[in-house]
Amino acid sequence: MEIPDTYYSKDEYVETASGNKVSRHTVLCGSQNIVLNGKVIVQSGAIIRGDLANVRTGRYCVISKNSVIRPPYKQFSKGIAFFPMHIGDHVYIGEGAVVSAAVIGSFVYIGKNAIIGRRCTLKDCCVIEDGAVLPPETTVSSYMRYTAKGTIEGGQGNPCFVPAAMQDEMVNYTKSFYEHFIRTPAPAS
Amino acid sequence: MSFMQPSPVKYACSCGIVNPINKLFFCRHCPKLRCGYCVSHEVESHFCSNCLENIPSSEARHKKNCCANCFDCPCCHHTLSARATTVPVVRKTEEPKDGESAGAATPPPASSKPSAVPTTKKMYYLSCLSCRWTTRDVGIPDQGVATGTWPDNECLYQARFNTLMEYYQSVVLQEKQEKQEFQRRKAPKAHKFPSLTDRTGLTVSLIRRQIGWSEKNVPKTKPLNITPAEAISELEDLPQDIFTQPINLRNITTVAQRHSQPADQPTAVGNLYPQRRSLWIKRSLRCRQCEHNLIKPEYHPTSIKYRIQLFASYHVPEVVMVRLEHPLEAGQSNAILLKLSNPTMYDMTISILDEKPTEEPQINPDEFQATCKIKEEAVTSSPLMKVAALARQTLTKEVTREVRDVANAKIKLLESEFVLNQRDDSKEFDEEVQAQTEEPNFIVWRKGNKVLLRLQFTPAAELEVNDVVTLGFFMQYTYVNTVSNTAEKKEPTTHTLSSRLFIDAGRIEKGN
Repeated sequence: MEIPDTYYSKDEYVETASGNKVSRHTVLCGSQNIVLNGKVIVQSGAIIRGDLANVRTGRYCVISKNSVIRPPYKQFSKGIAFFPMHIGDHVYIGEGAVVSAAVIGSFVYIGKNAIIGRRCTLKDCCVIEDGAVLPPETTVSSYMRYTAKGTIEGGQGNPCFVPAAMQDEMVNYTKSFYEHFIRTPAPAS
Repeated sequence: MSFMQPSPVKYACSCGIVNPINKLFFCRHCPKLRCGYCVSHEVESHFCSNCLENIPSSEARHKKNCCANCFDCPCCHHTLSARATTVPVVRKTEEPKDGESAGAATPPPASSKPSAVPTTKKMYYLSCLSCRWTTRDVGIPDQGVATGTWPDNECLYQARFNTLMEYYQSVVLQEKQEKQEFQRRKAPKAHKFPSLTDRTGLTVSLIRRQIGWSEKNVPKTKPLNITPAEAISELEDLPQDIFTQPINLRNITTVAQRHSQPADQPTAVGNLYPQRRSLWIKRSLRCRQCEHNLIKPEYHPTSIKYRIQLFASYHVPEVVMVRLEHPLEAGQSNAILLKLSNPTMYDMTISILDEKPTEEPQINPDEFQATCKIKEEAVTSSPLMKVAALARQTLTKEVTREVRDVANAKIKLLESEFVLNQRDDSKEFDEEVQAQTEEPNFIVWRKGNKVLLRLQFTPAAELEVNDVVTLGFFMQYTYVNTVSNTAEKKEPTTHTLSSRLFIDAGRIEKGN
């Protein structure tokens, strides 16, 4: 099904030269440590904690409403340290998701209200279901699906859980999401 | 619309199962749609999904398809991670003191020599970050190395299982030897040139015996003797305290926990033991009719690429539902907007039909398979590949189910067929040039390889409110095939193919 157009008002969103669309109703702490690599959408209510460590996203990422991007920390004997967070290209982060992963690969889909524990590794082309809770330091490898029940299913070549053409599907999905996320046309008056 | 929602447009596979296009594959050699149920699945490579290490299949078999380094929590089946603790150790020639009691705060005993400087040592234990289970809970001592030294949970009946396995392996070996012996006697080897020994009646074994050598063939293996299992007729009574003691359910394992530890199936949580993590596989899919690979992933566990990828979305025109013109009403004519896109490098001519078009004469299946086989052999001439080919499941007859017609709306067919332009990735960056050509009136717009189509339909009059309206039609399209099954023909051939499509248009909103 084709994605319907989503409209935003000119006052609500800031559009940068590289095509990022960032809502004004977001909390971007330590904005000098946040790198959005172009054509990234950050929707209202999202929180990105750049003050803890660097956050870097690839192209065509979608950070949905009320999601939290928080760099992971590790506890050492002499206190804690935060680690930078890398997000690949064509990553969709669903509404209300809390992400503290160390690495998120490209073409990753994170469902609504998913919780990604600290220092998780999400490899390319994996799917996190809506409402799934990943315990800290979990690895989800490519073409795996982390279910809401807490099991890992799938694998490359298994057509039942993650589509075999996940890469193309995520490219299509994030690109068309960007293309259908358009500014409300000015009233004709 | 969410990425996870099932697509309303479904294609009927050649086996009769209806699937969205992202679950379908397209065999270029047949040329037909294939789904996960009508292809053969093969193991491409083994890997551990936690440490992402590729494990060769022989090693995987040796390790019983388990990873050597990673463990699963016996409690919640999540992965265990190693935690480090520093334990103060008193370095002495005598046995080291217990870590907890010999803390730095306690003064060293008076007898200790000056060499007994308390130093710290890193010790590791495994901990589950999901349910907080640790190896300390069940009294497994901490290890000095993070991975590799964790002791295996030896099963009580391990020795018995090993003897049984040895016994049955020798039985199999013996049967195989007997079979070979039988075949050798039945059919003496016919050489191209008769040798001297054939005429004189001398055989190799006779000569060997005359020279005084031992028999060449290995002595026949005799199965070892095993003590057969004995059935017990009398069982011990249950202990009395099972009726009197209150049960603490926190200490009793669940069925899933017992099944994950099949060797001993512990009943108490104190007997849970870290389980070796089982390996995952990458699969390659193969068409059962022509034995060509449909997808073949790269070996490397972290690679997401394919060496062969014949997804249906690369070859079959993709139909995407855009929207309906009006809310659905039973018996009222309506129109649906569909976006069609051509993924191939050749123009396609598409027509929408309401009944199955007459197929172009199919190639004789036996002949087709024979040509495929010849090609395959030429390609895979290495002995290893041949073994793999032998081990492969034999060809199965194509099972075709009748596609259940669930359509309940009448389609108004298009007046004419139309052309879907080839895909051209560079067009995306070009300026839009509107080539004003005479378009049929059912085409709303055309951009590059995409066409927005307006298809009129009427839902059946007897539908109730909230019934799902399903449109069903055949889409006939021309497909230019660049692979050929015969060696002589090299130029691409054009096929006229058809797919059956079903579209869930939505639910009836208003009754009439």
